[in-house]
Amino acid sequence: MEELVKAVSEMMEDEAIDLTKKLLDQGEPPVKVLDAYKDALVVIGKRFEEGVYFVPELIMAGEMMKTASELMKPYMTKGSGPAPEANKKGKFLLGTVEGDIHDIGKDMVGMLLDINGFEVKDLGVDVPAQKFLDEYKAFQPDIVGMSGLLTLAYDSMKKVVDGLKEMGARDKVKVIIGGGQVDEHACKFVGADAWATDAVSGVKCSLQWIGN
Amino acid sequence: MIVIGEKINGTRKQVAQAIADRNADFIRDLAKRQFEAGAKYLDVNAGTMPQREPEDMEWLVDNVQEAAPDAVVCLDSANPKALRAGINRTAKTPMLNSLSGEGFRIEGVLPLACEFQTELIVLALDDKGIPKTAEERLAVVRRLVGMTREGGLPDEKLYVDPLVMAISTGTENGLITLETCRKIKEEFPKVHLTCGLSNISFGMPLRSILNQAFITLSIQAGMDSVIVNPEDRELRTITMAAETLLGKDRHCMNFNRAFRAGKIGPKAAS
Repeated sequence: MEELVKAVSEMMEDEAIDLTKKLLDQGEPPVKVLDAYKDALVVIGKRFEEGVYFVPELIMAGEMMKTASELMKPYMTKGSGPAPEANKKGKFLLGTVEGDIHDIGKDMVGMLLDINGFEVKDLGVDVPAQKFLDEYKAFQPDIVGMSGLLTLAYDSMKKVVDGLKEMGARDKVKVIIGGGQVDEHACKFVGADAWATDAVSGVKCSLQWIGN
Repeated sequence: MIVIGEKINGTRKQVAQAIADRNADFIRDLAKRQFEAGAKYLDVNAGTMPQREPEDMEWLVDNVQEAAPDAVVCLDSANPKALRAGINRTAKTPMLNSLSGEGFRIEGVLPLACEFQTELIVLALDDKGIPKTAEERLAVVRRLVGMTREGGLPDEKLYVDPLVMAISTGTENGLITLETCRKIKEEFPKVHLTCGLSNISFGMPLRSILNQAFITLSIQAGMDSVIVNPEDRELRTITMAAETLLGKDRHCMNFNRAFRAGKIGPKAAS
């Protein structure tokens, strides 16, 4: 298992896949294999924060993870597989707000949240406030995450938070905003609980909220 | 290389502050420095909410023109009211940034460009977003060039942006842009090609090196304009070198003149 963690965190794709196959063949429970990937992801996230890894490493980690879950599928029996939707850690409603179409950061957050056991509903880009609110009602997320790179996105974000307040839901849900230019000031203006300028820190914060 | 200076953009914090405080000196300095560094066009983006934008645009245009009267203002907005306010203020016919296949831009920006016969940046995207393949991007451009021709705007006034996506998020992203450039040039030889260069290196180490390599490749694919920080000396040097090597600089005169003027190459020791 340690070898697998190392292979994944060192971006050794072929080795990681071979090891995954081998471990599964040997009868290792898929959940355990998955845990190795999660441990590797912690390492990768840390290196990203340290400026040793960059966006491509995060994306490649996501791809390795995807390949691994495909490999695990045939080995999954009741109770042994990773948590099905109902057992996910938390629900996360995600989208780039109205007036903005930037999606790199948002997509990365979505991928990392998914890997970390969240049930993610991604509304896409240029999402009107009303759509966020409608989806909030339908999906009942624990966290609402709004992304936007442009400063004028802040007004759109505020609209969503104001809407949550109006429907009396604001204290039932955590709100995080993300984007290259968000800061404490924007966070206060929007009325969010937290802000993040990169995907890894945003996901870290979300994990803390749901007690991980 | 036709350089469009990117710095007067209200989505940058310092500029947003300067707009809010009506700090004319800050804006004028940005305009002057960019123009002197070789930007013939100065992008002006107020980055503010629609209600405030026309007024902010007017204020920006006034100051930019005063500081750099020989530059062409590139009005950067999706808001027709802000664009019109800017157009009414400019002494020279401005450039508009931008038309795309998005419905609201076709309705709001295209008629203004045709009415005032402005130069126009054309983005290869539409309501469905940024197409993944060069062929699909070309299809968007084809549709839009059809409209600009219909509106009496000559192809020479168009600056088509094939769109640059981060290489960090897709191994093929550089190639897609380059291929789009070639396809557009083949079908519409008279249009200019421009791009927001630095997108290519988002999420990567050594961004400026990647930007320099990519502009070299882009020039070969037909790129003749960029939206960048004109004060980036290394980028300017690489750009001129690539143009010279690709036969776009007769007897290397641009390159050698720029060298003699101290505009390219390592800064002389002072």
